[in-house]
Amino acid sequence: MFKKLIEESTGKSPWLFHINAGSCNGCDIELVSVLTPRYDAERLGFKLAGSPRHADIVVVTGPITQQSLPRVLRSIEQVPDPKCIVTMGSCPQSGNVFRGSYSVAGPLSKYVHVDVDVAGCTPKPEAVIDGLYLATQILQEKRKGMKK
Amino acid sequence: MNFLNPQHFPIFAIMLYFLGAFLIVLFGKNRAARNCIAFLATGLALTLMILLVKPIMIDGGIIAYWMGSRVPAGGYAIGIALEVDALGLFFGLLIATAVFVSCLYSFSYMSEDDNEPQYYTLFLMLCGGVMGLVLSGDLFNMFIMVEILTFAAVALTAFRNRVTGALEAAFKYLVVGCIGSTCILAGTIILYQQAHTLNLAQLATIIPLCKGTNVSIAFALLFIGFCTKAFIVPFHPLAADAHGAAPAPVSVLISGVLTKSGIYGIIRLAYFLFQTMNLGTMQFWLVFLGSVSMFVCVTMALAQHDFKRLLAFHSISQIGYVLTAIGLATALGASAGLYHAMNHTLFKGLLFLTAGAVLHETGTTDLGKLGGLSKKMPHTTVLFLIGAASISGIPPFNGFASKWLIYQAAYEKAAETGNIGFAFVTIVALVTSTLTLASFVKVTQSVFFGQLPKECENAKEVSFGMRFAMGILAVLCTVTGLFPNLVQTYLTGPAAKTLFHVTRYINAMLGEGYAESAMGASAPEAATRTIEIVGVWNPVNWLALLMIALLAICIVAIASKYDAVRENKSEKVEAKYSLFYGGEDTVFSQVGGGDLFWGFKHNWRHYFSFMHDLHSGIVNDYSLWAVIALALAMVYALIVL
Amino acid sequence: MILDALKTLIYVLIFPGFLFCFLTGLLLAGIDRKLVARMQKRVGPPILQPFYDFFKLCGKQTIVPAAANKTVFLVAPLLGLAALVVLQLFIPVFQFQIPAFANVADLIVILYLLLIPAVSIILGGASTGSPYAGIGLSREMVTVLACELPLVLVLLSVGRSVGVAIGAKEGITFSLSTIVRYQLESGSLICKASLIPAAIAFLLVIPGETGNHPFDAAEAETEICEGMLAEYSGAPLGVYKLSHAIKMLTMTSLFVMLFFGGIGTGIGNLVALIGLTGGAAAAVTMLLDVLVLFVLCVIVTAVGISFVHAVTARLKIEQIFKYYWTVVSALALLSLVLVWYGL
Repeated sequence: MFKKLIEESTGKSPWLFHINAGSCNGCDIELVSVLTPRYDAERLGFKLAGSPRHADIVVVTGPITQQSLPRVLRSIEQVPDPKCIVTMGSCPQSGNVFRGSYSVAGPLSKYVHVDVDVAGCTPKPEAVIDGLYLATQILQEKRKGMKK
Repeated sequence: MNFLNPQHFPIFAIMLYFLGAFLIVLFGKNRAARNCIAFLATGLALTLMILLVKPIMIDGGIIAYWMGSRVPAGGYAIGIALEVDALGLFFGLLIATAVFVSCLYSFSYMSEDDNEPQYYTLFLMLCGGVMGLVLSGDLFNMFIMVEILTFAAVALTAFRNRVTGALEAAFKYLVVGCIGSTCILAGTIILYQQAHTLNLAQLATIIPLCKGTNVSIAFALLFIGFCTKAFIVPFHPLAADAHGAAPAPVSVLISGVLTKSGIYGIIRLAYFLFQTMNLGTMQFWLVFLGSVSMFVCVTMALAQHDFKRLLAFHSISQIGYVLTAIGLATALGASAGLYHAMNHTLFKGLLFLTAGAVLHETGTTDLGKLGGLSKKMPHTTVLFLIGAASISGIPPFNGFASKWLIYQAAYEKAAETGNIGFAFVTIVALVTSTLTLASFVKVTQSVFFGQLPKECENAKEVSFGMRFAMGILAVLCTVTGLFPNLVQTYLTGPAAKTLFHVTRYINAMLGEGYAESAMGASAPEAATRTIEIVGVWNPVNWLALLMIALLAICIVAIASKYDAVRENKSEKVEAKYSLFYGGEDTVFSQVGGGDLFWGFKHNWRHYFSFMHDLHSGIVNDYSLWAVIALALAMVYALIVL
Repeated sequence: MILDALKTLIYVLIFPGFLFCFLTGLLLAGIDRKLVARMQKRVGPPILQPFYDFFKLCGKQTIVPAAANKTVFLVAPLLGLAALVVLQLFIPVFQFQIPAFANVADLIVILYLLLIPAVSIILGGASTGSPYAGIGLSREMVTVLACELPLVLVLLSVGRSVGVAIGAKEGITFSLSTIVRYQLESGSLICKASLIPAAIAFLLVIPGETGNHPFDAAEAETEICEGMLAEYSGAPLGVYKLSHAIKMLTMTSLFVMLFFGGIGTGIGNLVALIGLTGGAAAAVTMLLDVLVLFVLCVIVTAVGISFVHAVTARLKIEQIFKYYWTVVSALALLSLVLVWYGL
């Protein structure tokens, strides 16, 4: 009974941890707008968590600069399983306009398995919510596959 | 002469300590002999005290013992007398227990020091002094014992004279302690000149008959003298310095034993010698000083950076509780005060010993340099937590039981007299208790939890002997907290009752009917005050409920694999189990102990800077405080007594 | 004997103990979240959201940091929860008072028992060695300190007021069941003019004591990563969230019992009006009591927690302290003085 309850709940209460890996701040603002009254992602149970220990979904923005890379990997490592990694905006996926710069180490998928990519510069809040919702479903699948 | 007659036990207890001190000087070179003598002296004294519980506490007897059988003749008590009533025995028990545990602890703690024989000699001298003080039946012998214990304590404070500040602390203590002793001597002289006797019982009879300026001044002198021994505000800086420098077992003696001697002296003064004069007016003075000590010292403790100095200030703060409760002059207040005095000895001893253990292992007590010791010293941590929970009044430990009684007593007094001032005393007491918790949170965080600095990596658990000594106190802390009713019935209740039976005390010493005939109508009637408690607190039931709940929750937790995913630490995922620093590498970033309560301190910054300026650390200033306090006490005594 | 033990077990585990606390506490937290969302013109999470959160956390991995003291890290949350559940036992539900527990703890004890969950979270946070926890526990302790003074003043005024009114020999009472019984007979304490400031002060203390917005400097997730909880994950974190929810229930129901206890009379009358007697009446009364208590708790939460949350921004820690020790304490003190001089 509890197993089923836990699986159900995993999809309904995803907490986000947001990592800024050298972003221009555009995506960061857009991510916050997702929580505003207009879009209100909290109705799906989304909540911004302060610490990676509390998170289910890691949202990475920015082109993963050389400086931020070890920190990003470290913080992602600290998230307890089951977890999902979502890249937001084009930067972490391709490097966007920063591609090829000496200081950019991206894309993120070179280092960790990325579950959901939300493309756009910046993605619209609707797209972000859609991506995050997809991530919750992946999260639920991961929980089902998780062996205790 | 029948040595097993309880009549002789008090004098034996005193003699054992002094005899031990003497023997250690003779045979102390040998470690085994030294330890054996110290153990026997303290152990036997404790046994004697415990044996006296039956005749005195339970049967309600009073032992009056005239040295060399020089019983009073011609109406004047000339001989040297011991008089042990429930109050004296209560303090005797406390002292004997603290001394015994402290002695056990010393065996391993002091084993690396030089001059061990001298240490034990002074140690036993101090114990003998305090024991003599509380069992003594005349004022002059009280003074003698005060002198002995003061000098032994001064020498012990400076015992580790290689430690920075030890000599300075001893010097300060010597100066202000001597001011105190002088006050006691002066007060004794004035009383002798007035009453022509030094016997406590007889003084209690005669003083009411010769009211006047001289007697009032004598009261002020004696009172301030004993205040210096109890380190009541404004004498608290001495305690901080002395505790900071002295070895841990000596700190136990200073806080658990020496301050009790001061409290004992104050009780004897207020309730016995001068009770028949005017107890009500003394009340304000006692409660005021107690509340001020309580609050000032706890705020001072919050500002400390050193483990032992912090404990020292807390020691005075708790003494403030005792003084306040005793000053309330109700049966409940007196009983609560004595209860707290007992608890103070137990938990403060425990805390000082854990501080000693930390010092022993790491070589420092600076809160900024310590941290993370809980993984290295798990037993010490548990013992410390018990002590900390006790002193900050977390149920079900003993500190809570007695503090709770003190709140009840203060608020009942407020309701009874309709005086809102006592309600504020209750509030101060309650808030002080939380402040105490705050500063122990600070110690817990910066000594036992938090990050482990490199300097402390070699720390390990202390030896069994030390843990055993601490364990005894921890168990006593828990037991006295869980069974407050038993403590009330068998220990504090009888002791508190004697406070209101002065006539009985006098008659036990000088013969039945003496008080009535000498004092006539002014003899205080033996008021049978009953202890009335408004509130309810049943620690055993609460603990049982808590255990049921905890057990149930634990079962649920374990069944649902609460900690199923344990740290399967392979080196690869090291990052996963390291701390979260906002993504940064783990850098050493201890949160400083001194500034932990910034939010509180910021609002009180003017107060703290005022206190900071006031505590200059200069002995001249402290002597001046002593003189001012004496002057105020005299003015007060002259006006109201 | 066995029956008594069984009864106690039921009290502790089901009602008003663990299960009751679990359900109503989380429900209360859910309603609070929904209300805040509605006040901010959001749709808000479903009311059952805290349940989802709790069960999700139970299904997550528990990471014990290498630097942490594992025993303390894992046991501290359970201890805090147990202490809260036991505390809830001592708070009567109008007529429904468990006689066996009435003689265990009084108001002053409850004041101290409220410290235990705070201490447990502080210990748990400290045991991780995280610097965020260090700052968090410092703020938590200051918040507790800040709330202590007004809370003490309120409890002392209530104790005095009821003590005089029932003509207790000492002129005071600290027994919560006596206070509730008095209210059942002579009306709620909120109707006494002298206690209205105290009631307001208590209402203002509730968010501080539970660590809700705007007094959540100790658990500010945006600046210090939820402070003491920064290193917690999985089930222990869930237990802390549960404790927080239960603490809301405890504080609000304490408020209801202290100031609205008289409503129980109405319930009794209502049941009598229907014409029920005997066991059925007792059962219906108890059910109604619990229901009314819950509704009142929701109202108190809406006014005292959700509304305050929705309209304010987080305060700095020294502002919290100053606010409680000046404004709120002054209110409570006013009450104490009024009560003392018999108004």
